[in-house]
Amino acid sequence: MEYEKCYVLEIPNERPKKKRKIDQKSSLSSWEQRKQLYSELWRRQEQRINDVLDKSNRETLDNILDFIDQTRSEGTSPTIPTGIISGGPDLSSRRRLFEQLAASIQKTKDCNAFVALSSRDALNLKGLLRTLIQRATSRSEALDDNEDEFVPHRKGPRLLNYDLRTLQEWAAEHRVAKVVVAFEDSEAFDSALLAEAIDVLSTFPVKFVLLFGVATSVEHFQDRLPRATIRKLEGRQFDAVKANDMLERVFEVTIDDPDQRLWLGPGLCRMMIDRQNDHFQSVQAFVDAVQYAYMSHFYANPLSLFLGEGPTDKTIPKDHLEGVRSLASFRKYAEDTLEEGKTDAVRSWLDSDQQLLQSIQHALQSGTDKMRGIIGALKLVRHLRAVFQQQPDITFSSLYIKATAGSLNQSPIIRELLLLVKKVASNKLPAILGYLSSANQVQIAKVADQMLKRLDELIAGNEHAAEPLRSEHDLRHETLRTTVVAQKVELSKQKSSLTKQESEYSEIVRDLHRILSEYFDAMLSDPKAVFTHEIFMYDIKSPHRDSSMPRPRLVIERALSTPHDYLNCRCCQVGRVHEDESVLMPSNPPTSILYQLYLESGSLINVSDLYSAFNAIIGKGDNGDDEKRVMVLFQRALAELKYMGFMKTSRKKMDHVTKLAWKGL
Amino acid sequence: MLPTELMQILNRDFPCRELQIRHLSALLSPTLPSPSTVVLHGLEATGKTSLIKQYLHLSKFPHAIVSSRECVTGRHLLERTLAACVASVAALPESETDASAYSRCENLSALAAQLQRLLEGHGKFFLVLDGIDRQRDAPITLFPALARFGEIISNLTTVFLVSIPSPRLLHRPGVPHIHFPAYARSQAIHILSLNPPPIFLNLNEEYTAEEHEEDRKWLWPRFLVATWDSLAKGAARDLVRFREVARMLWEEFVAPIRKGEYGTRDFSRLMVRMRGLFQKEDVLVDGIVPQEKDAQQIIKRPKKVTLDLPYFSKYILCAAYLASYNPTRQDQIFFMKSMEKKRRRRGGGGTPGRAPKNRKIPRNLLHPSAFSLDRLLAILHAVVPHAVPQHADIYTQISTLASLRLLSKAGPAGADMMDSNTKWRVGVGWDVVNSLARSIGLEMTDYLAE
Ligand SMILES: Nc1ncnc2c1ncn2[C@@H]1O[C@H](COP(=O)(O)OP(=O)(O)OP(=O)(O)O)[C@@H](O)[C@H]1O
Ligand SMILES: [Mg+2]
Repeated sequence: MEYEKCYVLEIPNERPKKKRKIDQKSSLSSWEQRKQLYSELWRRQEQRINDVLDKSNRETLDNILDFIDQTRSEGTSPTIPTGIISGGPDLSSRRRLFEQLAASIQKTKDCNAFVALSSRDALNLKGLLRTLIQRATSRSEALDDNEDEFVPHRKGPRLLNYDLRTLQEWAAEHRVAKVVVAFEDSEAFDSALLAEAIDVLSTFPVKFVLLFGVATSVEHFQDRLPRATIRKLEGRQFDAVKANDMLERVFEVTIDDPDQRLWLGPGLCRMMIDRQNDHFQSVQAFVDAVQYAYMSHFYANPLSLFLGEGPTDKTIPKDHLEGVRSLASFRKYAEDTLEEGKTDAVRSWLDSDQQLLQSIQHALQSGTDKMRGIIGALKLVRHLRAVFQQQPDITFSSLYIKATAGSLNQSPIIRELLLLVKKVASNKLPAILGYLSSANQVQIAKVADQMLKRLDELIAGNEHAAEPLRSEHDLRHETLRTTVVAQKVELSKQKSSLTKQESEYSEIVRDLHRILSEYFDAMLSDPKAVFTHEIFMYDIKSPHRDSSMPRPRLVIERALSTPHDYLNCRCCQVGRVHEDESVLMPSNPPTSILYQLYLESGSLINVSDLYSAFNAIIGKGDNGDDEKRVMVLFQRALAELKYMGFMKTSRKKMDHVTKLAWKGL
Repeated sequence: MLPTELMQILNRDFPCRELQIRHLSALLSPTLPSPSTVVLHGLEATGKTSLIKQYLHLSKFPHAIVSSRECVTGRHLLERTLAACVASVAALPESETDASAYSRCENLSALAAQLQRLLEGHGKFFLVLDGIDRQRDAPITLFPALARFGEIISNLTTVFLVSIPSPRLLHRPGVPHIHFPAYARSQAIHILSLNPPPIFLNLNEEYTAEEHEEDRKWLWPRFLVATWDSLAKGAARDLVRFREVARMLWEEFVAPIRKGEYGTRDFSRLMVRMRGLFQKEDVLVDGIVPQEKDAQQIIKRPKKVTLDLPYFSKYILCAAYLASYNPTRQDQIFFMKSMEKKRRRRGGGGTPGRAPKNRKIPRNLLHPSAFSLDRLLAILHAVVPHAVPQHADIYTQISTLASLRLLSKAGPAGADMMDSNTKWRVGVGWDVVNSLARSIGLEMTDYLAE
């Protein structure tokens, strides 16, 4: 390859035209109101989420606090009391746990200090101790970087700022009984560093309590420490709430609240939950995604304005009503109404904004009721499954996803459940009826109450019996009968006769079965059939996909292989010259041409060959000037590919480069 | 030499160390001149620290003891040394040292100068540097320079406590060394038998403290012999570990006596009954969380090795294991979709039946070898039974795994994680990966060479 010191490349002065497709008028008129609405609704939602997160950690926290408390009485033991807190790889929830812990330690009456360390704070032993001392004595971080800085204000010989005697003196001065040191992400610490830190801590008379947040397992964590270090530690293991359980709890509060107005739709929920299970376990990420959904809905959808308190024609701009008229669900609703023959109603919606507004309000209310109904039904399903101890566990989120997609009622889950209800024995029935009568569905509660009374009477008459009553569908009431007909054995089922009590009981069960299946039929219909579902349910996946699921590699590879998709220039239009898509055109950006050539070659590429291929595409003949131009482009394209990590110079052969990245991985 | 009463006290407190005590009292004596440097060496828990401490304490020499374990850097050690010396000199009667005059000590020569100033006009002074061979972050000149302090400062004697002395360490001949050999069986048992732990926690009136004392003295040494011969001999030879193991077993051993099932002198019957105690090796296994000592739980709980990871992270980890333990040149055989399962299982194209000339160590016992990111991704695509979704966010997952040290970077420490030059290694063993693979329904042996 020939090099020149530098090439001058003249770029033709053409700027790409930017296009913006935002209709300023209509979306902006209600913007302030929507923003307000968003912040209010989200604030409430966030509060609920935080509450549930705090509550879920409570038990673990109490255990840890007890443990810290108990360590005092032990006196001078040779080991450092140590708590290992195991949970999933979700760092954010562990951080939260430690934050709560810090708050509760500060609240307790006896004087303990709490320090949380993360692996970023501790690159070496000196730094770790310095941070530890600083945080414990909570001096300003201003002195942070100054190496070997001395601790100010002290009588006698001065101490280095990583000298734990500072901490010792401070603890004595403030009567601090224990210093709790929490390692947030223990695995990320260098194990040699951790061992040394523990060694140093164990030599000091300050009473330390160590807490290790562990994402994998205690064994895995222990394996990385030297035995001498392990011998210095002794303590207990605490199990934090599993990430999945935590997710379910958080999920439940995001859909179930007496004041809920916006629900997440099935598609979005499935995407978010799948992402948690498949790729990225983090409750915080889930909460962020929910927030993003709220934002997208209120920021980008003007119709979200209707979710505010009592929309009137004064607060709603006209064009928003026009927007409602073009909703798909409105169209369907109108068509359905037309089919019923109520042409006047449809007319009025089209003519009168007032009428339309009323029907929107009505529809929103019924939509809200619908969603509440679904959630009530799901809770019933969960309760029934618990009563029947059905396996495997189906999470509430997956039930919700099925239900809001409108497919739960036909699913085997409900069918099996109803079958089990038919066969239920009398000892389990009160649990079901009790739940039903306390449910907030008025009619069902009444009926359940009555049935409960009937059942009580029945059982009162049956007190002496050891066995619970069984319904007619119970298998125990069927006997198999074998008959021999023409030398063939025939099996036939036969109902054994029922006692009077049993038939009365069967009556109750049959009623219950009927009521339940009617209830499920009514509740579990598709919410997307409701007019205005676009307003109270947010189910758009693409904003989430675009904003929180990066595909860096794919995007780069795609941009390099089909630059036309991005540039939209006329010169490289596929089909203009050739039908074949993969054909290389000299008008393509040089880097993408070189990338194509790169893809076609093996893992060790001769640069000279690459150049001649490149030249064959882009060159215009063999005069000297053009060669220079091609060389410039080639060098630059090569440098760019190298910069993006596609290749590096080979050590084996001077004039070759090694291929580092394959397409489609 | 020290007065004989002191020697007696020392010998009583530290049995089996007569020779070392005699040497010490000759080298660090109040009357005879002392060498400028003394080295005490011996393995762990041979009594170096405690003996010299007790010796200096009893003989009432002015002295300072600095432990390297507490010092984070070489500089820290210097500061500590100066502070300890100043404190010790200032505590002497009729000393007029102003502690505030000695505030900083940046390097060795500053320390030498300050010590010189400090000790001027005082009598003999002993500076003990404990574990100086393990000093973290120490400059190489530290040790030899400290060894020469005694030459510059005439009334200073530096005592080094090290575990293994190397002849080159001091760069100086003629330094007296006192060796503290590790204790033999009888010595270790003898030393520990001096402090028998109690058999009964609360005594009643019929059974007096003297009787208890006697029983303890009778039972404990016999128990120590049994412990040493069964467990400690092999795995807890030093005094401290031996003591720990014995104490741990003791509680359980005397439990039947406490319950009144056996008398205090029923040693042999008790031994027969409790022999299981000496056969189990639980006490030798260290763990942060102590194992539950539940008599009913004889069946060991299976160790929980599955990790709580997202679905694709599990696959990535399995793929990383394959990338580390499969030779690169056989990748085509194992991961090409067109290759038959059967062929995979046989493992490579090597002709079966012929034994290899030189026996090789099985790969899974070796250190995992490094692989490039793209190889990992390619293997991942090959083992995942369905298509890997585009938004799988593999890179984030890899970096999470790396921060959990389930994957580790093989290259230089500062290298960019996502640079395609960076090499990786898997950080977990076969057990973990295998159970992970089970949980996602991946049959690792289908893909693993050998
Ligand atoms: N001869 C002895 N008699 C009684 N106790 C002893 C004897 N030797 C050692 N010990 C005890 O063993 C324990 C460990 O001793 P010490 O710390 O002095 O050992 P060391 O040689 O300094 O070990 P290291 O090299 O690990 O610092 C101490 O509790 C000490 O009392
Ligand atoms: Mg020692």
